[in-house]
Amino acid sequence: MDSSGHPSSATTSHTQHIAENGEKADANRLPLGSTSDSLNELAKQNVAPFLAKYHPRQYAPRRAEDGTTTVPRTTNAGYCYRHQPDSKCSRQADEQSMQQLQRELETLPQSDQQGIAHVWSLFSAAPAKQRKLMLQGILAQCCFPQLSFISASVRELIRIDFLTALPPELSFKILRYLDTASLCRAAQVSHRWKALADDDVVWHRMCEQHIRRKCNKCGWGLPLLDRKRLREAKREIELRATNWGSQPVNTIVDGAPNGTCSVVELPLGGKRKIEVEDDQSCAMIKRHCVSPAYKPEPDDDYFKTRYRPWKDVYRDRFVVGLNWKHRRCSVKVFRGHTDSVMCLQFEDNILMTGSYDATVKIWDMETGEELRTLRGHTAGVRCLQFDDTKLITGSLDRSIRVWNWRTGECISRYNGHSEAVIALHFDATLLASASVDRTVKIWNFKDKSMFVLAHPEGVNAVKIDTPSRTVLTACDDGAARLWDLDTKTCIRVFQNHIGAVQQVIPLPREIEFESHLADCEIDHVSTSSQNGESASMLSPTLEHRSLGIHPSSSGASFEQESGRLDPPRYIMTSGVDATIRLWETNTGRCLRTFFGHLEGIWALSADTLRIASGGMDRMVKIWDPRIPTCQDTYEGHSAAVNCIGLSDSRFITGGDDYQVRMYDFRA
Amino acid sequence: MSSQITLTSSDGVDISVDRTVAERSILIKNMLEDLGDSGEAIPIPNVNEAVLKKVIEWCEHHKNDPVTATDDDDNRRKTTDIDEWDQKFMQVDQEMLFEIILAANYLDIKALLDVGCKTVANMIKGKSPEEIRKTFNIQNDFTPEEEDQIRRENEWAEE
Repeated sequence: MDSSGHPSSATTSHTQHIAENGEKADANRLPLGSTSDSLNELAKQNVAPFLAKYHPRQYAPRRAEDGTTTVPRTTNAGYCYRHQPDSKCSRQADEQSMQQLQRELETLPQSDQQGIAHVWSLFSAAPAKQRKLMLQGILAQCCFPQLSFISASVRELIRIDFLTALPPELSFKILRYLDTASLCRAAQVSHRWKALADDDVVWHRMCEQHIRRKCNKCGWGLPLLDRKRLREAKREIELRATNWGSQPVNTIVDGAPNGTCSVVELPLGGKRKIEVEDDQSCAMIKRHCVSPAYKPEPDDDYFKTRYRPWKDVYRDRFVVGLNWKHRRCSVKVFRGHTDSVMCLQFEDNILMTGSYDATVKIWDMETGEELRTLRGHTAGVRCLQFDDTKLITGSLDRSIRVWNWRTGECISRYNGHSEAVIALHFDATLLASASVDRTVKIWNFKDKSMFVLAHPEGVNAVKIDTPSRTVLTACDDGAARLWDLDTKTCIRVFQNHIGAVQQVIPLPREIEFESHLADCEIDHVSTSSQNGESASMLSPTLEHRSLGIHPSSSGASFEQESGRLDPPRYIMTSGVDATIRLWETNTGRCLRTFFGHLEGIWALSADTLRIASGGMDRMVKIWDPRIPTCQDTYEGHSAAVNCIGLSDSRFITGGDDYQVRMYDFRA
Repeated sequence: MSSQITLTSSDGVDISVDRTVAERSILIKNMLEDLGDSGEAIPIPNVNEAVLKKVIEWCEHHKNDPVTATDDDDNRRKTTDIDEWDQKFMQVDQEMLFEIILAANYLDIKALLDVGCKTVANMIKGKSPEEIRKTFNIQNDFTPEEEDQIRRENEWAEE
């Protein structure tokens, strides 16, 4: 073998010796067996000092004479992932290959074994720089088949368990790029991966991305969880990511099922009178904030609801999201009214319905049980709204009544309208009522004042927006209007419906449109380019475009007044013309028209994730405000749908068939 | 203003580089600001020559990118899309990728750290647990019972 490529210019005398030995053996071409003695001799002369120099622990054991083993020196361990003492994962794999090597070695003559073992132990003892030189020397001698062998082996060998080897905060950074399914598979890889991939640091982020909003990445959202609570937990989570692993996770103290330190707090008595639903269980507080006087009950179930890992929170919402997507829901029918059901509202476990039978019924949603019937109105109940303490109803008997719904007692009665009261809405200290008498009346609970917003025709819907001190109204004249409650004037008219506008609702302020619509636009461009220019002729495209425009947020009517927000940026209306329309508030433009219903739309409800509508055609339709086509249609009522209530996990409808139907998407 | 500075790798190799390029590293930028450019070589004790050269290559290519001061807070767009050049750049063996991530973290080059972490995330994405183990040479340290239970715990995510 030609040794010209040999690192004979090696810097250390040791390597030089080895190189020379190699040359000698090569030059003499003696059968290995016959040189075993001289090899041993050479090894003693050259190998041993090298080993002793770089591997004193193993080859100079006399130092530990006093009986205590010397502290393990980690001359080489510091720089190499593969031989880190704590990276257990790769060790086993190495062991296997070592065993195989051993077996193969044993097939060789004793003296060859000796020689090879020397080469290996020299390499093994050498520091990084020397190792590199040795390898360069070996590589220089290799023929292509050997190089090919090396290149194939190397590919197999350089596999690093990144999540284990990297600092935890970097591992979390990697995991945060994963989607739900990949994260759940990552949790099944090993104990270490499970600990990382199940951690609150990761799932809190997932919750942030998906709860109450549509994720731009995967296109669906998780509902419900209060984003404020999500934000509150954020700092704690960030700290957690930084300190992860530096302190033992204490499973005993916090009682969390998997030892995470996320603390989920159920409100303890107090304000919430209505039975706690799942969203309340997501409230986060820091552990040390728990009142010291509070003694946990020795009840396992209790702890399970009290401390919930964010992964569980996410999973529950994910399942609800999937159920919506795949139309998996249970249907419950509430029977009891003896005429058309005209209005409803539900909160937590309480459902209230108002009917042309002149009563309001209060239901337990879980059991379906009728809890109470409120009587007093002398004609049909057209509208209602309740909060923790009161219920307000409006009726065809022209009156507005205020009830203590817990006792069933009617507290007061207002006879301000000269015709039927069709809609009402209260918030904070204001109540707005809309009537066939062509007025909307704004009642102030606090100072008992009242003023009138005059309309050209009967008014069908009214919504107060307290942050902007405005009110939205829907009128029989075919227009929706935005009014300034300070100046008591109409500041915007939304006119495009043919015939009466039945409903008007603001979209939640936190709804995120633009980025999503920008995506849609890109999709649109790519598809339209395939079809040539004709696609741009389609009106939906134009509507799309108009949505992409960012109007200056100060384009609304308000100067920067302290404590006053702009009106909701988007509103939705529905009308007897069987269409739903999306409007941009500060320009008054109709951005999109949703077609699909066959007859007039009486009922409309929206949250950040979806819109639900119902009407004469007996159908309930589910829409995504970002997408022009109907997402889903639910049938079930045998007559017109008059009212609809929507939450993250269910919707409830009331109809002309006297029925109330609940579609429940929870697991 | 393209003054050159010298970096010394952990294995003692001096590499000279444009100051603007080197300043993609917030660590180096802050050092230069704090200490002033004395003309002396800056030691980078945690990064060896091969990795440092690779990192400089990346900085060179991205020297004109706007410096994004966005925090990790930017959770709006957590896509794992990587631009084409970066993808090619990241076609290295796992050891080099590992070292690049560590170096980017140490040198505080956020965009490079992002690309590195995304590359690893993409290696995980869409794989079964067994495929992940294979990819990263990980020992399955679950008992069959544990494995079965954990699989069931995570079933909900499989649509």
